[in-house]
Amino acid sequence: MANVVPLDAYTGEWYPGYKPEHFDFPYVVDAPSPFRPGDENAFWFLDFHWSRGLTPLAATLWSADGYCAGTQGASESLPLPPGRGVTCRFAGTHLYGSPIPEEDPREIGARANRLGTNLPHFLQNYRSIWESGRDELEATWDYFQGIDLTTVPTAELGTLIRQGRRYHKRAMEIHFGVMYPMLVNFLGFYGSCAEMGIDTSLVGKFLQGEETKIMELDRELYALAIKARQAGLSQVFADNEPQNLRAALTTHGGSAAQWLTDFDDWLRVWGHRTDATCDVGVPSWIEDNTNAFGNIKTFLLKETDHDFEAAARHALEERDAAIDAARSGLTREEQAVFDGGLAANQAANFPWWQDDHNYYIDLKVMLPLRQACQELATRVGADHRDDMLYLFWPELLQVADGKPYAGELSGLVRDRRQYFDHWHGLRGQMPKVLGTVPDSVEDPVLIEIFGINPGSLRAVQNPDAANETTLTGVAAARGTATGVARVLQSSDELHRVAPGEILVCESTSPNWTPAFGKIAGAVCDGGGMLSHAAIVGREYGVPTVTAVGIATVAINDGDKIEVDGTNGKVTILKRAAELAGDAGQP
Amino acid sequence: MSSVVWVDAVEPDEAVAAAGSKIGRLADLHRAGVEVPQGFAVTVDAYRRHCTDAGLDARIDAVLAAVGAEPSEAEVETASAAIRELFVATPMSEALAAEIVDAYEELCVRCVDVNVPTAVRSSATGEDAADASFAGIFDTYLGVSGAPRVLDAIRACWGSLFTGRALAYRLRKGISHHDMPIAVGVIELIHARASGVAFSVHPVTGKPDRVVIETSWGWGEAIVQGVVDPDHIEVGKADGRVLRYDVAHKAIVSAFDFADGRVTEVEMPARLADRKVLDDEQVGAVVAAVTAIEEHYGYPVDVEWVISRHRRAGDGICIVQSRPVTVTAEEPTVVAYDPVALAQKYVFSGKPVPGR
Repeated sequence: MANVVPLDAYTGEWYPGYKPEHFDFPYVVDAPSPFRPGDENAFWFLDFHWSRGLTPLAATLWSADGYCAGTQGASESLPLPPGRGVTCRFAGTHLYGSPIPEEDPREIGARANRLGTNLPHFLQNYRSIWESGRDELEATWDYFQGIDLTTVPTAELGTLIRQGRRYHKRAMEIHFGVMYPMLVNFLGFYGSCAEMGIDTSLVGKFLQGEETKIMELDRELYALAIKARQAGLSQVFADNEPQNLRAALTTHGGSAAQWLTDFDDWLRVWGHRTDATCDVGVPSWIEDNTNAFGNIKTFLLKETDHDFEAAARHALEERDAAIDAARSGLTREEQAVFDGGLAANQAANFPWWQDDHNYYIDLKVMLPLRQACQELATRVGADHRDDMLYLFWPELLQVADGKPYAGELSGLVRDRRQYFDHWHGLRGQMPKVLGTVPDSVEDPVLIEIFGINPGSLRAVQNPDAANETTLTGVAAARGTATGVARVLQSSDELHRVAPGEILVCESTSPNWTPAFGKIAGAVCDGGGMLSHAAIVGREYGVPTVTAVGIATVAINDGDKIEVDGTNGKVTILKRAAELAGDAGQP
Repeated sequence: MSSVVWVDAVEPDEAVAAAGSKIGRLADLHRAGVEVPQGFAVTVDAYRRHCTDAGLDARIDAVLAAVGAEPSEAEVETASAAIRELFVATPMSEALAAEIVDAYEELCVRCVDVNVPTAVRSSATGEDAADASFAGIFDTYLGVSGAPRVLDAIRACWGSLFTGRALAYRLRKGISHHDMPIAVGVIELIHARASGVAFSVHPVTGKPDRVVIETSWGWGEAIVQGVVDPDHIEVGKADGRVLRYDVAHKAIVSAFDFADGRVTEVEMPARLADRKVLDDEQVGAVVAAVTAIEEHYGYPVDVEWVISRHRRAGDGICIVQSRPVTVTAEEPTVVAYDPVALAQKYVFSGKPVPGR
């Protein structure tokens, strides 16, 4: 029985000064907007990717170009027979997604036929399809990198802003055009393994151990931490908060000066990344060093270094052993099917791509637009460099095309900042689901990546969620760990996590990966077998449970918890309040 | 007409009609070169003559006439008990008894054993055939030793044609017991080291690429009756590779009780309960037997088999029963990875991917 969670509370005003034409963009099936009356007839899930909330520009560009053009377009062109991609609505600054079902049986059949033609073609040509897409994006990235924004005439900034948006939109076409068929291929293999009696928790292992750009980035970051320790700087890192570390290291001088030079060299190579997914509102590590320093600071708290080489070796050995064990239980006929599926999935390795592509797309794709907006803000004398991110797209173009910013628009931006901050504070109270909540969903992206399954759908509708002490979810990465829970709203808080603690959050994205070198376990509200946390948890050997639904509601920061990643169970052993009481005992 | 036919001598075209389907198939297997136990059957004709000559038919009909068209469960049970008591109380004619005793003594000679223990099995003409409802409904007595006990067991098997379940079924379907006469097999009881069942296809999924074996120590009754959790083995047919061998905790065993003169279910000795029953050579022998039988019939089969205490590596194993497998594969065997078919099946079917 579908349950309806009312959403009337979110259908009123939106950002100050918002007009419906601000959202007047091309879309494929369904356009994004703030919640409207009638939306309760569909199912909406709180999207974990944007737990900070989204500024007007970030909200409209992602929802229009990412979901409503990217996913909807890709699901038409592959196509996905019963689903037409994702659409979205906003409750305040928070994005809710919804799968668009295809219900016409004739249309489903026609789409199935198209899939029969397109999927084999894609799999045969996967390498060139992905690599040519990636190279095209890298060429555009290089184009933007070659531009010194300070020398661009103000009149030309509008062109760069338009190009920046098109870069993002094109990246999303490539992203979802590759992601959907890879996912479909993976799930077919997964189902086939299940049918042959293979323990499906091993399927991820068959494909692990391939180096990704994100892992390379993390290893390089870790190397900087080791350099800092060797340079005798551990104490400086221990004594200072991340935002003060550059100043402290500069003051310290000596070996710190050389280390800072190395750090800045590193940033030039690896710092073009945001701690967010396609969010123009979030700075790169070059623009804001805090998270880079924060990660290095916590790495230095670890008594033993994470051995990347050993972990990589171990992942490969584990992979080969898992494959051998699985094959030995199959008949010769089944081995032929398994070997074919394994080869197809090793060639087009979805878990690998799911991490690797973020380096080329998600983590940096909004930076050219962001930087052009910041330059425009400087030229028009805005109070803050990121003022333009609080404009809607038509307003931004007007400013770029010469409309005065001071006055009406700058006043609106001040109000919108307040609106953003207000809703940022409400994130923890946002319902995980809205509208007509089904017992289960069909869309494989929702199930495998977002972790929306019958169990998590039940969990998020539990009115007593905050008092639950035994939670269940997807057994995403094996093993058991006990430790203190750190409940984070966004990866901006990653520096709060000490080695050996357990990360609890809505879900992780690649910007959270550095944490996996130091945490003992991970628990997420969302995320399926193919989510970032599941994949990275397996690579790093960190016990992980995803799709718990209510982890951030039931678990309090500082609780002592046990994560059982083998059985998909999380137990709250002792509440933070009790632990504090124990500490206070004489 | 003879009241007794031998498993190794009955003509194939008259085996089932004379000896019922169970013993008929055993005779057929023997002719196909499969190792089966020694034994004979008391024929359908002998049963019919016994019913007529001893006046049983009239007395059975009298009991049944008193039962209405739609009797209650209790009325059926009362009638069943009355008829079975008639079989117990009614002796065989001296001529028939002599013929059976003679056959039993011949069996003892053939097995080189005085009072050889036997399995006395009902072998109905309707059983195991088109209507599977009768499978296992009639009696089997294991370990019956000595002529007087054999004769008693045969009469008990005859009476089991009138168990409550069988009677209720026939009344419901309007079938006369006269149309379903019964034969009884008297078969050498192989001294079982281990026994089990084997399927030439997967008994649940119908997959034809594997043999599935379930086995435990001692006689197979505990497995057939489902009172023991047996070792489960799957073997690839194409290359004979053991795909899995799940050793079960086998709490109960069917063992020969010498004092009582029969096979009975007792607690498994602790040292045997968790031990692996079959080694690779024995697994291979079971697979060879079941695949040969499947090939002989041209359709999938399940068999009951026994490994005798006297068996040595390289010997065959003994087949005590064989039946067609009724399960059929849900879909044709997949021979290659087909991402489109799998996508249709698992991603776009609206059903969750199995295993989650």
